[in-house]
Amino acid sequence: MRRDLRGALLLLLTAAVQSSSMSAPGKPVLLSCRSPEKETFTCWWEPGSDGGLPTTHHLYYERERLEGTYECPDYLSAGRNSCFFDKNHTSIWVDYYLTVTASNALGNATSDPFKMDVMEIVKPDAPGNVTLRVEEREASPCLHVRWMPPSNTDTKSGWVTIKYELRVKKDNSNNWKEYTSGTQTHFSLYSVSPGGVYTVQVRCLLDHGSWSEWSNTTFVKISNYLQNERPLSMLISILSAILFIMAGLILIAKRKSVKQWVLPPVPGPKIRGINSQLLQSGGSDDVGNVLIIKQSFPPIYFVWQDQMEDYLIVTENEDWLSSNSQKSLIPACFHFNSEIHSKESPCHQNDWEKDEEISQVDNNNKPFTNTGYVDFQRHVENVDVKHVDYSRVKEVKRDNILFLEKEKVQSSGYIHFQRQEGIPEDYSGVKEVESDHLVVLQKQNAADLSCKDEGNHYTECALHKPRKPHVCTELSDSGYVDTIPAPPLM
Amino acid sequence: MEKVLFAVLTLVYLELSMRVVSAPICSYGQAGCHVPSLADLFERVIQQSSRMHSVSSDLHSEFEQYFFPRKNLIRKRKCHTYDILTPEDKENAQKLGREQLTEVIVRLLQAWGEPLSELYQSMSQDQNQDFNLYSSNKALEISGILHELKDGVTIITEKMKLLGVLSNTVGYNSPESLVPSSAFYTQADLDSMDHHDLLYCFRRDSNKAKNYLRILKCTTLPEPDC
Repeated sequence: MRRDLRGALLLLLTAAVQSSSMSAPGKPVLLSCRSPEKETFTCWWEPGSDGGLPTTHHLYYERERLEGTYECPDYLSAGRNSCFFDKNHTSIWVDYYLTVTASNALGNATSDPFKMDVMEIVKPDAPGNVTLRVEEREASPCLHVRWMPPSNTDTKSGWVTIKYELRVKKDNSNNWKEYTSGTQTHFSLYSVSPGGVYTVQVRCLLDHGSWSEWSNTTFVKISNYLQNERPLSMLISILSAILFIMAGLILIAKRKSVKQWVLPPVPGPKIRGINSQLLQSGGSDDVGNVLIIKQSFPPIYFVWQDQMEDYLIVTENEDWLSSNSQKSLIPACFHFNSEIHSKESPCHQNDWEKDEEISQVDNNNKPFTNTGYVDFQRHVENVDVKHVDYSRVKEVKRDNILFLEKEKVQSSGYIHFQRQEGIPEDYSGVKEVESDHLVVLQKQNAADLSCKDEGNHYTECALHKPRKPHVCTELSDSGYVDTIPAPPLM
Repeated sequence: MEKVLFAVLTLVYLELSMRVVSAPICSYGQAGCHVPSLADLFERVIQQSSRMHSVSSDLHSEFEQYFFPRKNLIRKRKCHTYDILTPEDKENAQKLGREQLTEVIVRLLQAWGEPLSELYQSMSQDQNQDFNLYSSNKALEISGILHELKDGVTIITEKMKLLGVLSNTVGYNSPESLVPSSAFYTQADLDSMDHHDLLYCFRRDSNKAKNYLRILKCTTLPEPDC
């Protein structure tokens, strides 16, 4: 008796234990619906917990323009937890309201209603039968892709319009290149190069629906053999490459003459009296000084350094004295322009002494004033003329010896002299400079003085030397000393 | 100033005189104009209807995103074109025949002329909503395309009648003799629809029109791949 009681108690306990894990099913969830061709559709749901008991699911729907609630016509064709609506049960442009109910022995659970219109859920299958064909062409290969529309779509009656898209990638990279194909079922790719494996995929779209999945990948390998063909053309190309290289080397070796030939030098414009180098490199007061000096000062000849420019005539006198100091040497380059000057009379070059050394002045042709000013130039650099210093002539002995005052007239810049018109300028060559206040001038011949003054005080003279384009000579310091009539500043 | 004016006038004159002119299109083949084929006309009309649907679909989805970001709302709505009987699948559409299909298309298009322009008006006047400010242009565009589409369908029906493809019982000889679209809905129906409903319904109806036009083309002009 007690055993029976115990047995019964045990059974009850186990039954009680078992029954506590069972419950009504959980709420299923409708996931999505899809129509592959706008003629049928399928819906899927996700069941909730089954509560430990065998649970069945039922899908019910209501439809616009249709009275009543109906059950899913086909639970099987589309697999588990799905409902397939065939053509007879599918209507486009009407709303379906779906619900799924899970039920087991202990109860039911109904999902939330799911509203859909077939027009919105169109997603076709992927295109099939993708074939690749490589066409070997002369320049580069080309890849022809062909495919078939998904088998269930009806494009013939115009019910749906299909659009295609394909993507290509080379070898193992992750960069897909996408192309739109429209409604064609073939496409040609021209940007393929030999020696690679190309992977192609195609997908399609119906009307305004969603894109299908990408089709299965199709591979093709484009071989490299094109490179071995036509050895003759390769030989020709190699030879022409060698020729080009040689021509290039020759050109490089002779680049200067090539440059001369291709780009002949163009003479630059000259403004007399203005040194472009001075303008570029000098300070502003130098520029101003240059401009100011034109009006009132004896002409200052700037020496042109640029070898491409022509220059006003300058003669070279062999009798020039050489000075003790080297500082007074004025290196200068003269370029004779034979076209401008045609006079033959030699001319005395007006040149300024470079620094403050004084030479004796010899001038037996012109009246020599007792006090005159000797113009000096102080060269800061080799050629550029920057400042002019003046020293007063203290005494003139005989005809060619000048004694200058020891103290110089400081001029920061230029002193403007009042020049009396009509008094011709005259220049004498400096023969010798002794100490720092004695200048010995050259005795001149009358025949030498045949330069004429131009209006702007420049003297243009004919060539004295044979014509040479680039003549760089070193001048002695015996330049010319300007004789100025008694300045009013005295 | 006069020079500028002269230049402008010259340019205007040149523009007017040298406008690239293709031969004017006419339906009846009058002298000097280029008569498009039926295939061209269909092509044009289908493109237009496709564009119309596309824009309205965008507009609708934007509307829903803006006003109903959580898609919980399920409303049973009734479009004002509810009573225009339309085929709801492929077989029924193909069974319908050209004449009836054409009539359905015409009715659908006519039914939306006024509501769309009213939609545009109310959208452009409602300055409170940023959405309306932004998308009233789309409503205007849809309205314009619809207008052109109606004209296009008229031309096509005329041409089809001319070619004998369509019997003369259809449509436009006397537009009012056939049941006009306005018989299918009332103003009350329209008033009960808000912007959301209008957009939803128009999206659907434009898709219908596009589909029917394509079927009409493919049954009228048989091609291997329509």
